[in-house]
Amino acid sequence: MSAVASELAAPPASLVGRIGWHWKHNPKIELWIMWWAMVCFYQLFGVVFALMTRVMPPPAPWWDQARIVQWFNDNHYGLLWGFGIIFLVAGITASMNALIAYSMTRMSVSRAFSYIYVAIYSLATLPGMLLTAIFLTVGALRPDRDPAVISWLYDASFTAFVGTMGVFLIGTSVWMLAVLLDKNRVFPLWFAYLNICNLLTEIVVAPMWIFKEGPFAWNGIIAFWVDTLVFVVYTIAFITLLRRLIVREDFGDGPLPELEQRT
Amino acid sequence: MSTIVATNAERSVPGQIDIWYFVLVEVVIFSSYFITYMLYRIWDPALYLESQAHLSQNFGALNTVILLVSSWLIARGVQAAREQRYESAQNLVGMTILCGVLFIISKLFEWSSKIQQGFEFSTNQFFSFYYFLTGIHVLHVLIGFVFLSVVIYQLRSPQRRSIKVIESGAIYWHMVDFLWVIIFALLYVMR
Repeated sequence: MSAVASELAAPPASLVGRIGWHWKHNPKIELWIMWWAMVCFYQLFGVVFALMTRVMPPPAPWWDQARIVQWFNDNHYGLLWGFGIIFLVAGITASMNALIAYSMTRMSVSRAFSYIYVAIYSLATLPGMLLTAIFLTVGALRPDRDPAVISWLYDASFTAFVGTMGVFLIGTSVWMLAVLLDKNRVFPLWFAYLNICNLLTEIVVAPMWIFKEGPFAWNGIIAFWVDTLVFVVYTIAFITLLRRLIVREDFGDGPLPELEQRT
Repeated sequence: MSTIVATNAERSVPGQIDIWYFVLVEVVIFSSYFITYMLYRIWDPALYLESQAHLSQNFGALNTVILLVSSWLIARGVQAAREQRYESAQNLVGMTILCGVLFIISKLFEWSSKIQQGFEFSTNQFFSFYYFLTGIHVLHVLIGFVFLSVVIYQLRSPQRRSIKVIESGAIYWHMVDFLWVIIFALLYVMR
């Protein structure tokens, strides 16, 4: 297919012309759309969770009911607009899961790996993002409710956001195993090992369910900051490697060709 | 051995380069745990000193000896593999795994003894760190069993026997040992 594309006339010089040409002739256009959707989603996720809703870094777990109600009041519009965006775009995570599953179908391993991954990660947005968004939106929209109920929503939101582990633990393990077994060299071996670091963070967060303060609380140095840093490194690594996968893709079955060295 | 090293001039480091990246990341992550522990210890030294007194240094020292012996065994195993004494290498890696099992059994025994004495994960911050650091380390020992099983799998068949993979397994195991020595120093020894 790439040979067919190369026989066509070169893409026009203008930006619109180039986009049109790639849309019609580039056999990798669907993969690129998935990749850019993933990049855009993570940008939006960062803006919404860190800047608009103030969910990251998480506020204190030890606050009393009055302080929690005040937090909802302080962030009222940020919560509504931010999670409004999330409810609209949450489905984009499917494109990311599809691209990762695609990477596994390009490997020499059984397709069962990609099916398991998609099945597990189709559940991931719920504990990883949507439960928090729903609970906090309800709290922001019902300021007249009993402060005890608002506090419950606050606790449920942040324990779900930081402390839910199993889905990500198993999903990451599946991807790691696929990379380790793959003979087509779709991803480098170090990425399989980086998966171990990421899946261990899912275990490190577990004490968060017990503690309200200190390094193991949901805003603690270990349970939140170190784990988030590992996750950010892991995410940057896999986004970069998925991009390299698309560039290297030859739509064949054997080992994925390496990128040519620039001289 | 010097002959083998000399004839493999292209090999700058033992094992796969990927395992070294992994070790680097793991050491950075564990360092962040150690620094956090030190900071909290500085903020409340009396609590940490008092709690530390309830740990058995003998247990900690026994754990350390077990892991140091295991590191020596795996190093001997790699050496045997390099000299193409594969049966001996398999036995040495098997004994390394045995040491790892002994380490975990002793750790389980120590944890249960502490719990019986009333020192649990949420008793105070020192014991939170104690269970967390020793627990996450035991997880690494368990992952080490997978690495060492791959090493034995490599050694069993003449079709495999990649010295790079065998060395990589050993490097991971040395890291597990290295991390334990620091944990031992921080939790059991430092006053």
